[in-house]
Amino acid sequence: MEVHQRARNYPESGFDAPIPDEAELTAQTRVRPGRSYGFFTDTTLCIGCKACEVACKEWNNLPADDLGLTGNSYDNTGALSAHTWRHVSFIEDNVRAEISRPFQSGWLMMSDVCKHCQTAPCVEACPTGALFHTEFRTVVVQQDICNGCGYCVPACPFGVVELSALDGKAHKCTLCYDRLKGGLEPACSKACPTDSIQFGEMEALEERALRRVRDLEARGIDDAYLYGVPGSPGAAGGIERLNAFFLLTAAPERFNLPVAPSRPSDRTMPSLAAGITAVAGLALAALFLFGRSDRT
Amino acid sequence: MTLVQGGPNDHALPSRPNGTYYDLPQVKAAPFKSGAVGTYVFLAGLSGASALFSALLSRRRRRYGDSAIRRADALSMLAPTLGAGLLIYDLKTPQRFYNMLRIFRPSSPMSIGSWLLVGFGGAATAASAGEMLGRHMKLGWLRHLGACFRVPAALTGVGLATYTGSLFAATSTPRWAAAPKSLSVQFGASSVASAATALAFAEPRSDLRRSLDLVAGAALAVELAAAQSARRAYRAAGIQADGPMPIRDQLGTLLPLGLIAASAVCSPGPQRTLSRLACLAVLGGSLAMRIQTIEAGKSSAADPRVSLRLARRTHSAMRK
Repeated sequence: MEVHQRARNYPESGFDAPIPDEAELTAQTRVRPGRSYGFFTDTTLCIGCKACEVACKEWNNLPADDLGLTGNSYDNTGALSAHTWRHVSFIEDNVRAEISRPFQSGWLMMSDVCKHCQTAPCVEACPTGALFHTEFRTVVVQQDICNGCGYCVPACPFGVVELSALDGKAHKCTLCYDRLKGGLEPACSKACPTDSIQFGEMEALEERALRRVRDLEARGIDDAYLYGVPGSPGAAGGIERLNAFFLLTAAPERFNLPVAPSRPSDRTMPSLAAGITAVAGLALAALFLFGRSDRT
Repeated sequence: MTLVQGGPNDHALPSRPNGTYYDLPQVKAAPFKSGAVGTYVFLAGLSGASALFSALLSRRRRRYGDSAIRRADALSMLAPTLGAGLLIYDLKTPQRFYNMLRIFRPSSPMSIGSWLLVGFGGAATAASAGEMLGRHMKLGWLRHLGACFRVPAALTGVGLATYTGSLFAATSTPRWAAAPKSLSVQFGASSVASAATALAFAEPRSDLRRSLDLVAGAALAVELAAAQSARRAYRAAGIQADGPMPIRDQLGTLLPLGLIAASAVCSPGPQRTLSRLACLAVLGGSLAMRIQTIEAGKSSAADPRVSLRLARRTHSAMRK
């Protein structure tokens, strides 16, 4: 990857102020409001270093969750939570085979994150408007508004958002909203040493991802596919597109990702209508019965 | 952008899932306190349906008098007071409860319900206060003014008794999402049954009591049918079934249904006793059903095979 020309203006490693449009130097993109940004996480490049987890905790000042050994390969993080916004999954798939495939061989590693759905069930569920789509089409919880009702938690089809017991508010990845506003790329993608996590404008990212699938195919990896781009697994059932999408080489279920997440708000009106019809029917019966008693 | 059809992305999805991720939960369970929220759902149903009954009974005021209306009014005050308190208690940042009224979001049953509760609280309070103050202060105009709020209270009451079903259905929790329609029919019918039997409990007039019991019987039958269809949906979704009919359902629906049927052929004295026993069973069963629905939903979220299978079923249904 070429070094951006503007990078030559900053030869030192310490700075007094942020570099204007720093994302242009680190992710080849300028962050501008009104455009759609996201993550492309390429699992064939992930080496499981967890630098993304650390960078996220550092930048967002997140407390540690209960740490311990889970026994699930090298995954001692467990799951995304209110205080863990990047989570690297580890799957050991026949790792002791004598012949192993290129690109992750038997090791499947994936850095999971909030999907920043373009039709976001958490946003649709939030009764206070604390959850919203930002000017970068990312999904953020406004901490000064959330009242901890917790309805976004069961709404999320990916099990991402969670309430913190420390402050009683919902928390999840903000796609580094503060950094984007300052022209910087998110902490995790900047820290990723293999570019498994790439930040960028959605259209460019999706094209890049598709090129990567074709490239892998040309090299004999025929089971690589995208999860979360329009029309693919992950973007289904009314959820048009995930602004954090993935390149996978195994079934989505192996990473606890649903093939076809459904949009919970699609069930609101049918359910409400059925209930109201039933009660209205019973009310008519009651009206009839109360009238009938007049004559007896 | 043509990313899918015919593209390199189309064929690659492995046809069968080979296991989950260490059997860890795939979705997160709702952080609701089952007891507090279940009790609210029960009270919302009882109050909402009571406001409906007080509107229906005020149409037959000449025949049945005012006392049944006043009792229904009293029951309708439970949700806006005690119920609202329980909801605020369940918030993890309760001092910000008023943020519920910051926006109206029609896709969110939680938002719909917040506004329903506010609307219902206002209308039901106005209707009850007009009735009560008008009577005590002998002000006819105040009673008429209160009567204007009967229909709004009844309409929002119907919403209040049923929206809680869609509140649970519109989530990614497998057991709640599996039967969206049955769930709110079950909740709505159970609300009507609980309000009807509660009014019958204190009703001295045997003709009205019998009518109320008949309404309760019909509501219990609807609730039973909805519960049965929900159980079918759970089985189809691979959600752990709690037997053909759990004891809670038998005590909360079948038992009172039997008592009501038996009371229909009795003379007024024993009829009243059976009716009261049925009322206790219905109220207990209605409350238990709500709490158990919340508990069962939370535990269904723990099994990734259930939520992932549900997603895959939707997917293959879409591909056909």
